[in-house]
Amino acid sequence: MNDLRIINIEKKYNSRLPKNDSAFTLQPIGLTIKEGEFFSLLGPSGCGKTTLLKLVAGLIRADGGEIRMDDFDLTAVPPEDRRFAMVFQKSLLFPHMTVEENVAFGLKMQKVSKKMRLDQARNMLEHVGLQGFGFRHPDELSGGQQQRVALARALVAHPRLLLMDEPFSALDPSLREDMRELLRQIQKEFRVTVLFVTHDREEAFYLSDRIGVMSEGELLQVGTAQNLRDHPDTTKVAAFLGLKNLIEGTVTNGYFSSKLEEFEIPVPHLIEEGSCFLILRPEAIQLMPEGVIPGADAMHIRGEIQQLIFNHGFYIGKLKTANHQLECSFSSQQAKNMAAGQMVDLMISLNDIHIVKK
Amino acid sequence: MWQKSKPYLLLLPAIGTIVLLFFGGLFDGLLKSFGYFPAIGETRFEAAAYTELLQSSEFWASLVLTLRIAALSSLFAGVLGAIIAISLFLLNESTKSGTSQLWHRLFQLPLTIPHLVGGYIIVLLFMQSGFLSKILATAGIIDEITDFPVLVNDPFGWGIILTYAWKEAPFISLMIYPVLARIHRSWREVARVFGAGSWDFVHEIVLPAILPAWTIATFIVFVFTFSAFEVPFLLGVTYPSVLPVYSYQLYTSGTLADRPEALALNIILAAITILLGIVVYYFSKRWNVLKGWD
Repeated sequence: MNDLRIINIEKKYNSRLPKNDSAFTLQPIGLTIKEGEFFSLLGPSGCGKTTLLKLVAGLIRADGGEIRMDDFDLTAVPPEDRRFAMVFQKSLLFPHMTVEENVAFGLKMQKVSKKMRLDQARNMLEHVGLQGFGFRHPDELSGGQQQRVALARALVAHPRLLLMDEPFSALDPSLREDMRELLRQIQKEFRVTVLFVTHDREEAFYLSDRIGVMSEGELLQVGTAQNLRDHPDTTKVAAFLGLKNLIEGTVTNGYFSSKLEEFEIPVPHLIEEGSCFLILRPEAIQLMPEGVIPGADAMHIRGEIQQLIFNHGFYIGKLKTANHQLECSFSSQQAKNMAAGQMVDLMISLNDIHIVKK
Repeated sequence: MWQKSKPYLLLLPAIGTIVLLFFGGLFDGLLKSFGYFPAIGETRFEAAAYTELLQSSEFWASLVLTLRIAALSSLFAGVLGAIIAISLFLLNESTKSGTSQLWHRLFQLPLTIPHLVGGYIIVLLFMQSGFLSKILATAGIIDEITDFPVLVNDPFGWGIILTYAWKEAPFISLMIYPVLARIHRSWREVARVFGAGSWDFVHEIVLPAILPAWTIATFIVFVFTFSAFEVPFLLGVTYPSVLPVYSYQLYTSGTLADRPEALALNIILAAITILLGIVVYYFSKRWNVLKGWD
């Protein structure tokens, strides 16, 4: 199996300032990316995801650890011999070459004959929707088209691993969506293993089989999009994934009590006692039908609607409870009968509640 | 109206002087080359000077020598300049210290030295009784200093070629370095990821990228060396001499009757230079060396 194994890889950048020992440290990271998998590294700017990508590419020398593929140690192998490909934030096409020559560049380096490499380049251009653009120069293409060429250039040589460093971040939103769709389709078609770096949650969720969340040089959690969203390990992961309604409290004797003593709910026994956060996902909070009394398997929330904001076909409701500010999600139908200042009764199933350690 | 024309009026004295001296001199030379020379009583227009010049073997020998020296000087300066520029570029890529800046300054040094001084340095270094021959003789590599090849005041023009190669190489590197400086550091990374080693990167990316700027810079050196006077005058031989020196010889050593020939030679030289200038301009416009670079 051509799995990529990252074994305790680490990198330290020294600070130029004499007082700081190191400006940035990528903590030892261990990770296995399966053959044909689309894996994303998600994290804020400066968290070390591009450093990790460049370590995998061989463009930066690691201070420790190993990179292995197909049981071969690639750590000391120069990038030109790894048979990887990369798409950067900018297309970085060579301006003196035509589109076709740019796409065929990797094959030329592999000493593939001119006719064969140009045939393959044309074929790949067709795949990315740029048939007939081969004789143009990069400056004659739009930003989106240039990034398609960069994608074609990366895929044409059938790389063992495709590395992508925020490739769509410089594109406008609609173009970005088109490119995501194209990448998703092409990745499935070619079954290429992808290591994708992004700070865009939506992008990572849309494209990835699995996601690794990074922060301050550390890989915090790895999982599928749903797994990460439903069961974040820490508040850092939850906050970065944009999870709302984090309520601080403690777990004692099988019960969670919020710090401000508003909520008390039973929790499964396998949850460790101590300080923690309760996460109430906005979409899991339901409007309580009139006359219904919530059962023991649900938590009751009463509060005043402060604001209703229309967002992508549904409404975000800002709710003020006795001691907390919460965010809920309402359908247009539900929001029709609501107004700011109105008191509402809501409930959430205990199965939809998640508790994370502080 | 006044506001609009003010800058032009302010420039008028400077432009007037340049136009009068340059075009006036050229026009006077053109008239005299066609035999119009009232000082010696010639007021007719005829092409005799041109005919005589084109029929003389001295002219053709001089033209061949001038072309050879200009071509070889430009080629050597071009190759040397490109090597300097690429080396500085790679040095700059690999080191972040001030070392590359020091090398930059060092390679730019010949730019600050006048051509005549440059020529004199070559004389001191490469003549048979020069610095280099004495070192080689002392080291026992040659028996006598007379065994050292004649590189200065030689009929082939090696001394002139060496001077121009040394003096113009920094000019060429200076012309192509801005193009190199615009090569993204990331292109090196792109090339490496796609399998290009250092030589592949230079061959596939750096050289094609600098080729238009290099060709134009080398062409400029060719045009300059083709019409340059002082170094060939200092380092050349009496016969054959390069066209500008031949023209000077005709103008100063002959009688007044030889002057139309000397001036006809100057007009031919100016015509060839202008023609080459137009060629350079055409290619520089056509290639637009930084087109599409961001």
